[in-house]
Amino acid sequence: MNLFGMLEVSGSALTAERQRAEVVTANMANAETTHTPEGGPYRRQLVVFRAQRMPQFGMFLAGLGRPASSGVRVEQVVADTRPPIERYQPGHPDADSRGYVAYPAIDPVEETADLLGAVRAYELNASAVQATKTMIQASLDLLK
Amino acid sequence: MINDPAIESLTRFLDLSVFRSGLILANMANVDTPNYKARDINFLAELEKAGGGMELASLSPVAHAVPGLIERPDGNNVNLERESLLLADTQMRFNTCVELLRDRFKMLSSAIHEGSGS
Repeated sequence: MNLFGMLEVSGSALTAERQRAEVVTANMANAETTHTPEGGPYRRQLVVFRAQRMPQFGMFLAGLGRPASSGVRVEQVVADTRPPIERYQPGHPDADSRGYVAYPAIDPVEETADLLGAVRAYELNASAVQATKTMIQASLDLLK
Repeated sequence: MINDPAIESLTRFLDLSVFRSGLILANMANVDTPNYKARDINFLAELEKAGGGMELASLSPVAHAVPGLIERPDGNNVNLERESLLLADTQMRFNTCVELLRDRFKMLSSAIHEGSGS
């Protein structure tokens, strides 16, 4: 692990959190979607994070053969297993024979909280990048 | 070569600071990863271990799980306040160390240049 490897760790977190925010906003946008190409209502999507070893870029430059710290990545995006919510709307084109329309089981409050969490984590890692940059700058100043 | 023990120990200190920062950043990156456990080094112990005249290349700090952190229901125990404070702390130490190193280099440089005058 060197200073530049640290940037990669934070960078992986930025990517992962942005992906999470994208999935959450897609959920919010499709909270009322009753029709999808796969058929049926939209299914709420969830991201699964996993710690990963970062590629040892630049080991020959400054690395000392130490184990690299772990970054993070989105391992998979899974569909929520909660059943859709049924609303009685007989005139709706997607209504079944009983007159019920299946809506996605999406709670706006839950999604908002999740989005806030993603944004906070993104900000945290962005400040970590800033901190790393300061350290790199300080060590470069040694050359002056 | 220039054999300045101060420069050598400062370099070790810098190296350990970078290693620790890497662990802190990894902890921060995995703040939402289920079952991730925060890792850290015992800075002073590692510094002492490194202080025994060892070559820099053989300096290999051991990262261990941080004890005493509260685990969330998803098995993750990263404490953001701890990591943020520790990062700030490590950064300050790093900067202090860089300043001290710079000072040493300046002394060396002036020793070289002053000599050329006479």
